[in-house]
Amino acid sequence: MAAEMALVKPISKFASPKLTNPSKYLSGRRFSTVIRMSATSSPPPPTTVKSKKGTKKEIQESLLTPRFYTTDFEEMEQLFNTEINKNLNEEEFIALLQEFKTDYNQTHFVRNKEFKEAADKLQGPLRQIFVEFLERSCTAEFSGFLLYKELGRRLKKTNPVVAEIFSLMSRDEARHAGFLNKGLSDFNLALDLGFLTKARKYTFFKPKFIFYATYLSEKIGYWRYITIYRHLKQNPEFQCYPIFKYFENWCQDENRHGDFFSALMKAQPQFLNDWQAKLWSRFFCLSVYVTMYLNDCQRTNFYEGIGLNTKEFDMHVIIETNRTTARIFPAVLDVENPEFKRKLDRMVVIYEKLLAVGQTDDPSFIKNLKKIPLVTGLASEILAAYLMPPVESGSVDFAEFEPNLVY
Amino acid sequence: MWSVTVTGALGVAVPTAAACRPKPFLISSSLPKQTTKLHLSPPQLTLTSHFSSSFKAAATSVQQQSDNKGESTKYYFLVANAKFMLDEEEHFQEQLFERLRYYGEREKELDFWLVIEPKFLDKFPKITQRLRRPAVALVSTNGSWITFMKLRLDRVLAESFEATSLDEALASNPTTLEFDKPKNWVAPYPKYEPGWWETFLPKKIEESVV
Repeated sequence: MAAEMALVKPISKFASPKLTNPSKYLSGRRFSTVIRMSATSSPPPPTTVKSKKGTKKEIQESLLTPRFYTTDFEEMEQLFNTEINKNLNEEEFIALLQEFKTDYNQTHFVRNKEFKEAADKLQGPLRQIFVEFLERSCTAEFSGFLLYKELGRRLKKTNPVVAEIFSLMSRDEARHAGFLNKGLSDFNLALDLGFLTKARKYTFFKPKFIFYATYLSEKIGYWRYITIYRHLKQNPEFQCYPIFKYFENWCQDENRHGDFFSALMKAQPQFLNDWQAKLWSRFFCLSVYVTMYLNDCQRTNFYEGIGLNTKEFDMHVIIETNRTTARIFPAVLDVENPEFKRKLDRMVVIYEKLLAVGQTDDPSFIKNLKKIPLVTGLASEILAAYLMPPVESGSVDFAEFEPNLVY
Repeated sequence: MWSVTVTGALGVAVPTAAACRPKPFLISSSLPKQTTKLHLSPPQLTLTSHFSSSFKAAATSVQQQSDNKGESTKYYFLVANAKFMLDEEEHFQEQLFERLRYYGEREKELDFWLVIEPKFLDKFPKITQRLRRPAVALVSTNGSWITFMKLRLDRVLAESFEATSLDEALASNPTTLEFDKPKNWVAPYPKYEPGWWETFLPKKIEESVV
């Protein structure tokens, strides 16, 4: 599956994220239909399918679109330079490297004829929703591939062990993205990943924030996949596309990736042990949970299509992710407090109004005026959720409460 | 996976006195009701033929190692109370089954086990005084893997010891584990069936109980 990704050339360009000239890049199109964009935050427009000429569509970025990340690679090199940083826990990284080299899923991502048959049976609105799901997931996995690949390349000299782990994680992400893209081919579509690499905007995060954000992305990814898998195992009548059968093994990769970021943060205790770290931890938890909740509530058709209640699914994923995250972040949110869900639900209501304003034909300044109270309302809900009393947490290797723990 | 991203729009106000409510984990005010009784009839292992070969291999190696008296092997373990290891942390079984599948595919000899109430704990008073009972240990001859599992599970204690035979290393005080059903199960799927851990108990020792 990884070979599929060899089509993606401009990795070396990754460090300069401001490549936004899509018109020059048209190679690597092997399919009759090429998707030039990834999902928007609103329910999918019925225009994702492109004509044979591959008419380009603007990439509609929004706050909630899966994002591509870039970071300060020089700072990363410094952070993991074993000469400078003598406290790096080699043992943990060597253990992780062994685990990634084991490659549990080397032979897992093999397709069969069920895929095409299932795709052909999916018609009507559900078909469109599935396409969007595959696109978004593929973009997200691919985004991980790009970042990890580059980190693997950049850290080779200063820390070969950490570099090799990044490379092996990019192997996993490439496999996942390739598998999802093959899924799109069942719908006679394909994501032009080369085009995406160049045309997407890259969000810059300092290394510290990359750690928080990617840790959460990986762990929440695990909880989303395993929850869908276990739900469908129990309710096979909703198993409308075979990709979900692969999720159990698949999401173990995500979980391991999260563990690696856990080890990276432990190797940089300054990111975990002060009051700013606590504030940032809560900020990233909230951002990730709110984004998922708002996103998913715009796509209830998908979750209902596979027999899930969207909000219950999301709350379960949030609670489990938060419990997992509490093993490394120095503070997490009190998501099990019913008030947290009430706040999320109010955000959904405001966000839907915001989207509705955006879709009217009003002139843009009228739209903006109408948006002001809604944005203010959303911001104050988010702030209120952020200020809810947090839960002190952390790895037992660091946490202050460790001496009193009974195991 | 990278399906969610961070909204760039959240303005961060820094609370001056964020009220903190410490919530230490694993210290549950109500201890789970657990019954302890002797293991009179060991549970039948139901293994697919695919996996049984690795178990046979493991059993053979138990025999071989038992014959090699005098030579000691290092065993690495992590341990916590049974409720945490097998019930609350139930998704930990996904990793064990994944590893078992992998060992089956590569015809690798099994080198990890779950041990309920291991006898070797007696050698670690510093651990036992902080451990709720009954306890369950994950034991392996692969130290790196135990390091990795410690990173994953976090809320466990890790140590190592030497033993001259597998029987000695994995000896346990037979205990039957029963966990209360969770009062508030909101996951959109049922809990894993209790007893999933039996696949990973040392086979030889189960037989010796009969």
